[in-house]
Amino acid sequence: MTAVQERHEEPTKSAEEQRLEAAARKEKQLKWFWRIMGYITVLGVWEFAIADILGLATGRTLDENLLPGPLRIVETFPDIVASGRFFTSFGATLTRIGVGFGIALILGTAIGLLTQIKWFENFFRDFQTVGLTAPGLVWALVGLIIWGFKPMGWIFPIVMVTFALVSVNIAEGVRSLPKDLIDMAKAFGTPQLRRQREIVIPHLAPFIFTAIRFGFSIGWKVTVLTEVFSSNEGIGFEMRVASQLFRLDEFFTWVLSFFVFALFLEKVVLQYFERRFFHWRQEVATA
Amino acid sequence: MAQIKIDNLRKEFGVGDDKVVALQNVNLEIEGDVFVSIVGPSGCGKSTLLNILSGIETPSSGKVEITQDRHDANPGYVFQAARLLPWRTVMDNLLFVQKDPDSEEARARCQKYLDMVHLGDKGDKYPGELSGGMQQRVGIARAFAVEPDVLFMDEPFSHLDAITARSLRRELHEMWAATGKTILFVTHDVGEAVELSNRILVFAKGGKLEDDINVELPFPRDAANEEVAVAKAQVLKKFEDLDLVAT
Repeated sequence: MTAVQERHEEPTKSAEEQRLEAAARKEKQLKWFWRIMGYITVLGVWEFAIADILGLATGRTLDENLLPGPLRIVETFPDIVASGRFFTSFGATLTRIGVGFGIALILGTAIGLLTQIKWFENFFRDFQTVGLTAPGLVWALVGLIIWGFKPMGWIFPIVMVTFALVSVNIAEGVRSLPKDLIDMAKAFGTPQLRRQREIVIPHLAPFIFTAIRFGFSIGWKVTVLTEVFSSNEGIGFEMRVASQLFRLDEFFTWVLSFFVFALFLEKVVLQYFERRFFHWRQEVATA
Repeated sequence: MAQIKIDNLRKEFGVGDDKVVALQNVNLEIEGDVFVSIVGPSGCGKSTLLNILSGIETPSSGKVEITQDRHDANPGYVFQAARLLPWRTVMDNLLFVQKDPDSEEARARCQKYLDMVHLGDKGDKYPGELSGGMQQRVGIARAFAVEPDVLFMDEPFSHLDAITARSLRRELHEMWAATGKTILFVTHDVGEAVELSNRILVFAKGGKLEDDINVELPFPRDAANEEVAVAKAQVLKKFEDLDLVAT
């Protein structure tokens, strides 16, 4: 048997294509350079603010017991993980955000859709404004006064702070529904369910993502706040205990872990889903 | 055979002082595989008529009936802008309006019409990756792929450059000749109407059907042809007689 060998030649790229690729590579490298520089600067200033590492400063500007540096926090982190509190506390906080924001998402979406009817728009209008402007602290205190340490004590503030944001975003999306595409579908006699799935939901997706992104970021803050006031578990509770016992290295470890986790959710989880939903935009942009 | 019957149709928009009459006292019958153009000045109700016939709008009064062999006819629509779903590929856009979008037959049918508009290899592209002319071709393929009994077209080439529009007119005419549909084609271009149609309906401001002209010239018609130029001049003369020319 004779083996037939085919010679596959890589298509040669034009000079213009090579130039564009090189420019895109450089852009990406610069993006990462400045991102890393941002981290180095912030962490460096933080570290140098409390210690004379290179012998350049005349002495410590801040007591390390008042503001522990990032290196000490990194050293403290394994101790907290080993104690088992890290995962239980994160788990408790995440469950609260999941439940609270989940309810807010359902409620906010329903209200957002209902506000398309004029009567309901007037009915909800001022409550949406109050929801958007009232500080989370107010709702956290109201929840504590009425329900104390019961679940409603933390569910109530999260829902109150985030539902308005979700409903306003959804209402904005519904208000800008593409009438031309809906009319097109009607003209072809496309079933209502398919119209919802293929036109309405993809159109609303960016508004839902915005609502989730901002709702989640505000939900985080309020959840930790309620845990500081009215809980015996969770990240907020751990922060309260660490500050009361003056274990500031532990306190800042919780703060930093919280930041890292929020960044992970934003940059990895949310962006992964965004890329999946909006991959067509990428295709069009690179066409 | 497709049959369109319009009986004393009237359409108004708004109420009180803001009321606008888009169509009034329109009576019409269209039958068979004809290419009918609807012409008239802006705001004479041409597009409203297509929207009512396709079910996008409802009439204020009167009756509209579209049948194919005494059953409800299957409509297709080509819009002024292509109106494609930007988040779906070209093939998915065609499948979206199919009655059986998941079947192999529907996919084969869509591919056949994409081939007919010379976009057979663009099925996996997104509309944003195509030029305006190509997007309009997809719109035409989408309308033909539902194998409609009646095809509505609302100034489908008005956004395109002259050369692309000319080439698409030729393709459309070939597809009409090959498939034999009843086509209702709205245009403000009298030359385009004469080049493409068997019959031209002339609408005036206020939505009145002013004239119904039969164009009995053989196809294909070339704009440079003398007979076509004479027919075009005759239609334009009727426009002047009816005082429809924009001033």
